[in-house]
Amino acid sequence: MSLIKKIVTWARIKSPWILHFNTGACNACDIELIAALTPRYDLERFGVILKGTPRHADILVCSGPVTKQIEDRLRRIYEQMPEPKFVVAVGTCACSGGVFDGCYNVDSGIDKVIPVSAYIPGCPASPKALIDGVAKLLTSLEEKEETKRSGR
Amino acid sequence: MHDSKDFKIPIGPQHPALKEPEGFSVALKGEKILGVDIRLGYNHRGIEKAAEERTYVQDIYLIERVCGICSHSHSTCFVQAVEEIAGLAVPNRALYIRTIIAELERIHSHLLWLGVAGHEIGFDTLLMYSWRDREVVMDILAAITGNRVNYGMNTIGGVRRDIDAQQAEDILKALTILEERTKYYIEVATQETTIIKRLSGVGVLSREDVLRLDAVGPTARASGVKRDVRADDPYAAYAELSFEVITDDHADVYGRTVVRVKELMESYKIIRQALKNLPTGLLTVRAPRKIPVGEAISRYEAPRGEDVHYVKSNGTEKPERVKIRAPTLANVQAVKHMLRDRYLADMPIVVAAIDPCFSCTDRTVALKEEDCARAKVINWQALHAFGIEWYKQQGIDFTELNKKLQDRLKG
Amino acid sequence: MTQEEKIKESLVNKFNYLSVSIKIVRPRRISIEVSLDNFEPVFAYLARDLQFSHLCTITGLDEPEKLSFIYHLAADSGVLINLKIALPKNSPTLKTVTPYFPGAEIYERELVDLFGAKIEGLPSGHRYPLTDDWPVDQFPLRKEWKADKNA
Repeated sequence: MSLIKKIVTWARIKSPWILHFNTGACNACDIELIAALTPRYDLERFGVILKGTPRHADILVCSGPVTKQIEDRLRRIYEQMPEPKFVVAVGTCACSGGVFDGCYNVDSGIDKVIPVSAYIPGCPASPKALIDGVAKLLTSLEEKEETKRSGR
Repeated sequence: MHDSKDFKIPIGPQHPALKEPEGFSVALKGEKILGVDIRLGYNHRGIEKAAEERTYVQDIYLIERVCGICSHSHSTCFVQAVEEIAGLAVPNRALYIRTIIAELERIHSHLLWLGVAGHEIGFDTLLMYSWRDREVVMDILAAITGNRVNYGMNTIGGVRRDIDAQQAEDILKALTILEERTKYYIEVATQETTIIKRLSGVGVLSREDVLRLDAVGPTARASGVKRDVRADDPYAAYAELSFEVITDDHADVYGRTVVRVKELMESYKIIRQALKNLPTGLLTVRAPRKIPVGEAISRYEAPRGEDVHYVKSNGTEKPERVKIRAPTLANVQAVKHMLRDRYLADMPIVVAAIDPCFSCTDRTVALKEEDCARAKVINWQALHAFGIEWYKQQGIDFTELNKKLQDRLKG
Repeated sequence: MTQEEKIKESLVNKFNYLSVSIKIVRPRRISIEVSLDNFEPVFAYLARDLQFSHLCTITGLDEPEKLSFIYHLAADSGVLINLKIALPKNSPTLKTVTPYFPGAEIYERELVDLFGAKIEGLPSGHRYPLTDDWPVDQFPLRKEWKADKNA
């Protein structure tokens, strides 16, 4: 089965619900994420659905370098998500602070606050990079599933 | 009348550990808003301090990222100030190229806004439609500059890349497509009764209020105030180009919509002129690494309104001070005023109508009833859904229009 | 006479002491320095009589030893005036200009948070842009303030 077919099959069985959260970003990554959902890129064909609440989300997609103002809320949102949960850091700021690394009001990256499962770099992360990143994450999740099933 | 300045809102025990301040606090009487308090700062990153610790060139890349929609606006506004201090004669070709990128940015931003506005009122197909068209601009920008956002086009003294004859032709072709589609948006905006009903009389800001509250951008122009830095305090190539400052007299969200779609048409006009008259010559002049002592203040008409940068230099390769005032900050008072005595259901579109450069969607909203001791905290999504549902009950429903546009998208 | 020269003349006629401190920097840019005592009359004259009806923003500056504040006022003509006032660092007290420009509130709060300015008459409200738990005696934009990497 081709990679895309595998992913689409997996997604149909377990359509991931995504919560998007901006931790003080400039908005470029957020907009590229929404653009990825528009027909041209169509992230939704992977069954990805944007949800409004942490309690139903499988994947937390975060942009931004994490400002002091938003740190606690980010932690709380992560805590409210049910297991199994995954976090994707979208954009260079979310990965490492980006140009804001060293600025006094930022933590310089999502993984300074909560564990991150996947990093999608780019300034901003383009819709294509987002799709690539989501595809890789879903594949690695599928591989984890298979490993579990085969009893290793 | 309730003054939102005095208004305090106690957060009830349901969120005892809530350290993160609410983005919005609303005092309610029934379904009407008495006053709104807006708390900003959640995306305060400490950019101005960082700018003092980096060189001017490094700062171009930092400042581009103040806002991911108007990155060229911030970048250009900054380099203009530095160039003024250093007394650099930026080549005309560079000024024209900056102008072209500036207008392409305005186009992508206004199309983005159209989609977001559609989303806030329940007209989601408009988002799909306008963002599809926006991709035409994104492709052009990526082809010219190398990136969809954060173009890195500016350097101190000029621009880093050229627009060649083929690219110029591609831009013109794209403009033809966009113009056709924009005419359709103008049609939809001015003829579809659902839109007119939904947006008229909402977020009213009189001309007097604009002047008193000192609003900027399309928000001001939609109330008949002819305020546009491109005309008032020309920069880049604007003094040599002919364009209209678009105003409207509706003074409401409807007016702000009309202003933006008409501004799209002006942007196409400006780009065509700039390409036709693109001067030959250098792309940049050499800038010294150490900028001589001095100060300058630069203004720029970003898609959202006036952007202001003040720069002070101390003779070294790092600035002494960089102050940035992005346009949204200038419109905060106006938003508070616009929401007073309006329905809670109007809040999402009224806030969206100033085209805020902060992400509303993660903001929490605290609602406090007049006779209730505690506030109820909801998230923006819930407020958004409430607004759409409330208006559906008033008979303003976008189901039909969504379907109509869906069919057109498929065709 | 250019519009800038007309403005300068108007100001000097009204306030003699300004003749030394007004500079026409370039077309559409005028800079003025004023003392604390003279600030309000000059500001009021600019905002009301000379129709500098738009306050772009207020810039705080740490010029070691003193804190300066520049009020950037613009007119419809496009002329922009940079009105600067310098105050001692240990008592940087200003009066709010919100009676003239309600929108100045947020610019003034920034000066309070980032420079430690004291603004008399500023209505009570949330601080901006720093967090509520940011120490009240730490002013990030003062030159001597350095981000503590261990904080």
